[in-house]
Amino acid sequence: MTHGALEGVRVVDLTDERAIYGAKLLADLGADVVRPEPPQGDPLRDRGPLMDGAPTETGSLWHAFFASSRRFFAVDPGTDAGAAQLRLLIDRADIVLANTGTFALEAAQLDDACARRPDLVVVEVSSFGPDGPWSDYLAPDLVAGALGGAVATTGDVDTPPLKAFGELNFMVSGAYAAIAALAGLNCVRRTGVGQRIHVPVHECIASALEHVFMWHWYQDHIGVARKPVLERRGSLHWTNAYQVMGAATGAVMVTPIPELDGQLVWLLEHGLGEELLDARLQLPEHRRELLDRLMDTLREWVASEDPEALFLEAQSRHLPYGHVKRLDEVADNPHLAARDWWESYPVDGERAVRGPGAPYQFSATPWSVRSPGDADRDTDEILDAIGWEDGR
Amino acid sequence: MRPLDGTRILDFTHVLAGPFATRVLGDLGADVVKVNSASRTNTNAPGSPYYVMWNRNKRALALDMSRDEARGVCRRLCAKADVVIDNFTVGVLDRWGVGYDSVREENPGVIYVQMSGMGSVGPWSNFVTYAPTIHALAGLTYLTSVPGREDIGIGFSYNDHQAGLHGAVAILAALEARRATGQGQRVDLSQFEVGVNAVGPALLDYFANGRAAEPGGNRLPWDEAAPHGCFPCGGATSEHPADERWVAIACMTDAHWEGLRKVMGDPEWSRDPSLATAAGRLARERDVEAGVGAWTSGLDSTEVMERCQAAGVPAGVVQTGVDLVEHDPQLARSRFLREIEDPHPTAGTTHADRLPIYFERTPCDRYERTREIGEDNAAVLAEWLGMPATEVRDGEDAGYLT
Repeated sequence: MTHGALEGVRVVDLTDERAIYGAKLLADLGADVVRPEPPQGDPLRDRGPLMDGAPTETGSLWHAFFASSRRFFAVDPGTDAGAAQLRLLIDRADIVLANTGTFALEAAQLDDACARRPDLVVVEVSSFGPDGPWSDYLAPDLVAGALGGAVATTGDVDTPPLKAFGELNFMVSGAYAAIAALAGLNCVRRTGVGQRIHVPVHECIASALEHVFMWHWYQDHIGVARKPVLERRGSLHWTNAYQVMGAATGAVMVTPIPELDGQLVWLLEHGLGEELLDARLQLPEHRRELLDRLMDTLREWVASEDPEALFLEAQSRHLPYGHVKRLDEVADNPHLAARDWWESYPVDGERAVRGPGAPYQFSATPWSVRSPGDADRDTDEILDAIGWEDGR
Repeated sequence: MRPLDGTRILDFTHVLAGPFATRVLGDLGADVVKVNSASRTNTNAPGSPYYVMWNRNKRALALDMSRDEARGVCRRLCAKADVVIDNFTVGVLDRWGVGYDSVREENPGVIYVQMSGMGSVGPWSNFVTYAPTIHALAGLTYLTSVPGREDIGIGFSYNDHQAGLHGAVAILAALEARRATGQGQRVDLSQFEVGVNAVGPALLDYFANGRAAEPGGNRLPWDEAAPHGCFPCGGATSEHPADERWVAIACMTDAHWEGLRKVMGDPEWSRDPSLATAAGRLARERDVEAGVGAWTSGLDSTEVMERCQAAGVPAGVVQTGVDLVEHDPQLARSRFLREIEDPHPTAGTTHADRLPIYFERTPCDRYERTREIGEDNAAVLAEWLGMPATEVRDGEDAGYLT
C-alpha cells in the first residue's frame, strides 16, 4: 500500500474558515489530522451548500470539501475531562494548526503545551496579527479581502468593488498556514526544536495581489502606470494585453501574448489587421500603441466568433486564450475527464459526491481524499490512543 | 537560522506562478538558484519591475541552454539539487536533457516539480496558460461577476499566487516524505487543477444537487447574510475610479444587523420588523443596500469602519495599493512593506512585501535584492560543483554562462 507524503505526521486541527484549507492540504497529503469539535457538532457542519435531502448536520458539502480526510474528536473543553483529553491529544501531535478565537483554543493551553513539548509546532492564524489597532477587528472573507487589497482590484467601473467568488482569500491564508506548519516541521526534523508560528490573514492577502504593490513602487518604470493605483476595470489586465471579450455566444479571455506575431498572422488570415503592419508600429517605442490597436481589432473580430472554436484554435497556435466557462462546463471538462481527475467525497455517512481531485500529483506518495471519520467512532479510537480510561 | 537553510533548489521558473513558489522557499531560507539567460526579455527580464517583485532572495546563475556546455553544467547542478522546479509547458526540460528520468538516475533523492498549466498528460497538456486563462477555464471568471455579465473576473492573477503556494506546499511535503523513505519523487502540479480546486464546494453542489452556481456580486452564494457588500463613501478626490472610496460591510448574523442599525442611528426604514432576519433583509436586499449606501455616502470610509467595528459589526475600508502602502496601521506595525537596503544595479531602490509567516525561533526577515543575470555564477558554481573561478570565467567568456 502506498502512503501520502505526510504519512505519520499528526496534526490537531483547531481552525475555522480562515485556515481550514491549510488543514485540508495537510490531511489530503496523508497527515493524520484530528479535528476536535464540540459535542453538539462543529458549526462549520452547517455551512452551505447542503446536500438535498440530507440532514443539515451531516449534509454540508462545504464541510465535506474543507474537512476532507479528517478524523473528528467530540470533546467538551469546558469540562475538566474534556480539557484534559484535549491536552493529551495535543501531547501526541507534531503540529497544532489553530485560528485565534476558535473553539477549544483556550482549553488547549498552547503555552503549556509548548513547554511540555519543545518539539511541538504551533501555527496560529489570526485576522490581523496578535496586536495592533485592528487586531480585534472582525473580518469575514469580504472584509478581509477589502482591507487586504483584493476587493479594490476586482469589479468594473460600473460595478462596486467585488469580492472573488467563494472564500478565495481564506484559501490563500490556509495555504500559507500549511506552508508555515511544514516549514516548522522541517526545523523539528533538523534540530529537534519546535516553535510557535503566527500567520496574519491580512498580510497573506496583501502578499498575493500581483501588480498592486508593483504599481505603487515602480510607477515610473511601468509605461502604462499614470497613477499609483490601477483602477478596477473589469477583466482588462494591468498590461492591457489580456481581456475577456464577448463572442458570438459567451465570452473568451483573449491575449496576443506571448505570440504577438502569430496573432497578427492569424488576423491577416481572416483579412483583418492589415493596418497593424505599418512599419511605424513595429518600432519598440510604438509597441504600446500596436498592442492597444491590436486589442481593438481583436474585440471586433471575437464578437462574431464561436468561443470554443476560437479558444481551441488559439491554443493550437500557442496563444493562451481561455473560454469563459460556466460551472457545469467546468464539471464537464474533457481534459479533467481524460486525466481521471475527479475524486469522490463522502457525505452524509453513506453517500459520496464527486468533487475536485489533486492540485498536485506525487509520483511516489499519492494525494488522496480519504473517508472522513465518524465522530462517535473516531472519538472512541482517539480516546484509546491517548490512553484515556476515565469514565468509559 | 531559517527553516529551510541548506535546502538547494534549482529554479527554472518564469513569470509569476513558479517564481512565487520559489520566492516563498527563498524567504524561508532555501538556497534558490534561479537559472536565467541574457536572452530573456519583457516581464522575464531581470531589472523589470515584474521580475524584481518575484525573484528576491534568490541567487542568479546564467546558462545559455542552447549550448551543450551549459546543458552539461545544468546536469551537474541537477545532481546536487534537493529540488528542481520549472513551470514551462511540458517537455522543455526533457529537451534540455534534464527531464525527471535522467535527473533521478544520478540523484534519486531529487524532488522534481513541474508546474505546468495543464499537467503533464491529457489532451490539453500542451496548452499555454497564464492566470487569466486559468481563471476563465476554471469558472473563476464567470463566477466573480455580477448577474448578467461574464466579462469581469478577478482583477489580478490570483491563481498564479495560489499555484505558487501549492507548489511550496508540495515541495515541503515531498521533503518530509524523503526523510521517511530516502527517495525523491516527481510532482506534477497543474495550475488549472489548482484553479478548479478553488471552486470546490460549488462543484460538489453541482454534482450532488445539479445546481450550477451563478455570479452574485458580493452576495454570498450559500449563506444568508445581508447587508453584505461594498458601499460608497465620501472623500473621493476626483471622479476617477481609482480615487473612489468604499467600505465593505458584512452582516453575517442578525446581531450584526442590530449593531449596524445602532451605528446608523436607527433610521426609520431599518425599523421594519421584516428586516430583523437575514431572510427578510435578503428579500428586500436592494432597499437595504440603498439605505446603507445612503448612510455611508456622506461619511469617511475609515470612520464607517471604526464605528462599525466598535459596535461588533464586520466592516473594512476597501483599501487600494496606496492605502496599503501609506496608511495601513497593521502593515506599518509589522514592517510588512520595506525597502531593500542594497540598491539594484539597474532598477535602483527596490522593495519587498515580507513573508506573512512569523516564526518565533527561526525568523524569516532577511530580504535580499533580485540579482542580475549571472551575478552569482562564481559563488553558485563553486559551492554546488566546486568549479574553479577560472573555469567560470572561461564559461562566461565563451558565452555559455551568460
